[in-house]
Amino acid sequence: MSLGSLLKRLDALGRRIEDIFLAVMLTTMILLAGWQILQRNIIGGGMIWADELLRLLVLWLGLLGAMAASRDNRHVAIDLLLRFLPKKFKPPVQILLHLFTSAVCGTLAFYSYKFVLMEQEYQTEVLTGLPAWWFELILPIGFGMMCLRYLGHLRRTVYPLREEVV
Amino acid sequence: MSALLVVLALFGAPLFAIIAASAMWGFYSSGIDLTVMPIELYRLAEMPVLLAIPLFTFSGYLLGESGAPGRLMRLSRAFLGWFPGGLGVVALIACAFFTAFTGASGITIIALGAILYPALEQAGYEKNFNLGLITTSGSLGLLFAPSLPLILYGIVAQQAGGNIDVRLDELFLAGALPGILMLVLLGGYVVYKRRGKKLGGKITLAEVKSSLRESIWELPLPFVVLGGIYSGYFAVSEAAAVTACYVLLVEVFILREISLRQVPVIMRQSMVLVGGILLILGVSLASTSYLIDAEIPAKLFDYVQSHVEGRLTFLLLLNIFLLLLGAILDIFSALVLVVPLILPVALSYGIDPLHLGVIFLANMQIGYITPPVGLNLFIASYRFNEPVLTLYRSTWPFFLLLLAAVLIITYVPFLSLWFR
Repeated sequence: MSLGSLLKRLDALGRRIEDIFLAVMLTTMILLAGWQILQRNIIGGGMIWADELLRLLVLWLGLLGAMAASRDNRHVAIDLLLRFLPKKFKPPVQILLHLFTSAVCGTLAFYSYKFVLMEQEYQTEVLTGLPAWWFELILPIGFGMMCLRYLGHLRRTVYPLREEVV
Repeated sequence: MSALLVVLALFGAPLFAIIAASAMWGFYSSGIDLTVMPIELYRLAEMPVLLAIPLFTFSGYLLGESGAPGRLMRLSRAFLGWFPGGLGVVALIACAFFTAFTGASGITIIALGAILYPALEQAGYEKNFNLGLITTSGSLGLLFAPSLPLILYGIVAQQAGGNIDVRLDELFLAGALPGILMLVLLGGYVVYKRRGKKLGGKITLAEVKSSLRESIWELPLPFVVLGGIYSGYFAVSEAAAVTACYVLLVEVFILREISLRQVPVIMRQSMVLVGGILLILGVSLASTSYLIDAEIPAKLFDYVQSHVEGRLTFLLLLNIFLLLLGAILDIFSALVLVVPLILPVALSYGIDPLHLGVIFLANMQIGYITPPVGLNLFIASYRFNEPVLTLYRSTWPFFLLLLAAVLIITYVPFLSLWFR
């Protein structure tokens, strides 16, 4: 298998995993939030952990969504100047931008990882007894993936593989 | 460093990266360990109201993919289509309604424009007028509950520090009249342009009945959501949960307009937008706490206080600043970045935080159609296959009308604060 098709498969696999996670978490969120309202207003009582879980799901959906946005470089940007740039100057500028973005994501991933280690040490708990760092893992994973994705965009700009030329 | 970041931003670096970089640079220069970044980002999991963002966005995308826009359009046409310009007014109202529920992400033009544009064309609306009308309508419902930017303003204002109490239900009330004012001004212009033209058709009992019957499943939605929020029965996040459950049930299981297999795709599309917004919100929580640490808002406060005299001058400058801001920044980034800075200043000039929110969003709404980068211009250009320059030309009368509305909204606080 050539390097190109390997990269392509890895990319497809990553997308698939993200899509599944997004769908499962959003479905959980909708059902749980809906169930809570039913319970509160009709059945009575409520689950203490549900509110906390819903809030954690917001964080996870946010980061998973951000990962999904990074795979096609769909993050909010201004690109006022890039639009007016002559065509031949575009690739170097884009390389610089991808490099910058992946460096920022990499830094965020590194310090998020440090944060997770800290929380492991302090044994912070959520959801009445679960280790908080399990849920905080999405921060280093999310930013790590985004860093890789922007390195991927960078590589594609510098050296597009045969399989990627449409 | 900040100059470099501005240049990178203008060349199109993702805004979250710019904001994160500036926060990290700030913390780093003042010797604070950068683990503060994930700690700030983790605050996303500590605000219950944020739940409303994914839930409302998903509902909006689902509604947009279903037959609901067509039904909404037919229903309003049955009631309002009969007078000259009636169809144009229908377009305005349908779009405002739809945007309020879908959060002004450009989805209105894509979902409703496809139906409205040919309908208006068929009714003999001149092309440029038609284009301008639809492009402008794409952001018209921003001020109506439960629009996402309105919710986000409430969240950001509460996080901005100080004892500022911005209640979301009050914010929803504050936006109502200003939003209606915009509708009335634009609607009046449409009717004026269409005066003397042939009538758009008659109001018939049969059509009213059949369009009502067709929309029977969507009709309860606004009453449940708005009634629930305004009466205080539902918190905003609860209303969002009810909406998401209900829309999913109706469009997928009862009407079956969206197959189960399409749902994960729509989920992903909507969560890409949500992820973008939440990430920007998260990193700007960090940058805002850095700015507050470095006493930047206080410095800005002193600077403005010593240079700008009087409330009216301040408001005028605020309008100019926000219009420029809206022309280069999207509404969500502008909200999370700028509100924490200007809120304390505005308060010192005696401006109510609710009024400030309405002014802010009204200005940003114009930003959607302001050259060179207004989002709606590009979405419409892409959707209707017209050069952006044509859209610049066709939107400017609407731009002037919205500008007039913004000035009225700014200088007549009563419109936003009548219930106080």
